[in-house]
Amino acid sequence: MPHATRPSTNESNFLLSALRENLRLDSRALDQYRPISLQFPSDPDVHGQTDVRIGKTRVICNISCEVITPYPDRKFDGVFTINCELSPLMGAGVEVGRPDQTEALLSRILDKSIRRSNALDTESLCIIAGQKCFHVRADLHVLDDDGGIFDACCLALVAALQHFRRPDYEVHGEQVTVFDVREREPVRLTLQHHPFCVTTSYYDAGTIMVQDATLLEEQCREGETVVSMNRHGEVCQIAKYGGVPVDALSMLSVVNQSWEKVTMMDALVREALLKDEREKDKGGRMKAELSAENERVMERPVG
Amino acid sequence: MAAAMVLLPGEEIPTDRLPKPKKGKLTLGPGLQHTPPSIISATTAGSLQVDHRKAALWLEHAGGRYQPSVGDLVIAQIHHSSVETFSCALTPHTSFAILGQLAFEGVSKKTRPQLKAGDVVYARVSRASKWEDVEIECFNSATGKAEGMGQLKGGMVFDVRPAFARRLMMGTDKEGVSKGGVVVLEEVGGKVKFEVAVGRNGKVWVDSGSVRETVMIGHLLRGADEGGWDVEGQRKAVKKALRDV
Repeated sequence: MPHATRPSTNESNFLLSALRENLRLDSRALDQYRPISLQFPSDPDVHGQTDVRIGKTRVICNISCEVITPYPDRKFDGVFTINCELSPLMGAGVEVGRPDQTEALLSRILDKSIRRSNALDTESLCIIAGQKCFHVRADLHVLDDDGGIFDACCLALVAALQHFRRPDYEVHGEQVTVFDVREREPVRLTLQHHPFCVTTSYYDAGTIMVQDATLLEEQCREGETVVSMNRHGEVCQIAKYGGVPVDALSMLSVVNQSWEKVTMMDALVREALLKDEREKDKGGRMKAELSAENERVMERPVG
Repeated sequence: MAAAMVLLPGEEIPTDRLPKPKKGKLTLGPGLQHTPPSIISATTAGSLQVDHRKAALWLEHAGGRYQPSVGDLVIAQIHHSSVETFSCALTPHTSFAILGQLAFEGVSKKTRPQLKAGDVVYARVSRASKWEDVEIECFNSATGKAEGMGQLKGGMVFDVRPAFARRLMMGTDKEGVSKGGVVVLEEVGGKVKFEVAVGRNGKVWVDSGSVRETVMIGHLLRGADEGGWDVEGQRKAVKKALRDV
């Protein structure tokens, strides 16, 4: 039967002495990320699916949406939910149906950094106030865990939200028509900003800081901070876990370092999205003609 | 020898590939299954290896989880200890192996080893069956000698694929050429002094006294394993790594 493994004393002692010499086991710098890869489905009609790899960590995110009745106390808002359940796929020691701490922390971090920071404008998901709205649902699956699942999940989610297209609709009085992908070009979601998470781990009573820790490094660390921010340097949330006290001034440098990483991630996502769009834009100029996104501004009858 | 034959699970081995033993007995290794009277089929995907002299055949495959079998040298991590035994983890996916507290060299009831949870030992699998717990021991029970086994102090344990660990342990043939096609450790050993223990459960323990050198060796091992370097590539990588250190 699979069981969770703790690193052996040899491993944790060696890791610590290596970190004291500014060395990491995979010969990275202390604040260096592993290579990040971002993939979208090859089918041009499928939107909102991302496959993110940071080193050996792998996360898949899928966005779906349906039309529902909005909550009675939030008539003008659509609904956005983030679903992440960890499965034994990600590593030994994870059991189905037994929620563990990582899972609770992960959904809390994602909730704080993406949902509560209003990255997705839920008002734009409303179709008819109090009657119809879109329910956007994000499903995250961690396929492999080699550390840094917070960063990977956040990156996958934000990239998937940018890649996703919801179906277009038309309202005539009380009548709502939701168009199929084949009838009308689907529409992008309105994202107000793109937050990313950066996790920093602490060792040796908080004196050594390491970014993008691997699984072994995560298991040996004494504390961690998760900073979510966007590329404009606006901090969405800061969470600190683990018992080790952290100097207030070093928090400032953590935030500054995180900003650098966030800028890097944002550029990476933007580039990947552009590349994906260019590759799938088979229609060329027809794409703009087919799109109904600017329809209200142009006030042109459809059809 | 003919080119290696690749088999998929369930495929039968053609009779002309089978060795022709004098005694009429074949020895089947891992990955093969005998269905009486005369069908031999593969149970996993891999390339067929035949030893005509020993009338043995087996499947060589790259991946998979480690399954203990008698005689394997493994690196085990103590999980907890009870009155007479230590329970040790071989991999996260196998149940705990039992290591007797007296299964060490020169140990009596009064001088039993004080191992704590998280300590690492080099041991040999002494009993492995489907129906009972795997047993390991840190000495040769026939001679009572440690033969290099026992607790591993200091150093670092690196994870590699079980197939790579097997290649590391294949040793060299008469001309001194590595049978497994891995020369990383030998090449580094020419320049740097270090101790090494290879466990069939996909773990390699390395201790060179210097953190920088141990990290380098771990890096080279991982590169040779995951990067699939050939002998020449390994030599080059070792030279480069030695220059950097």
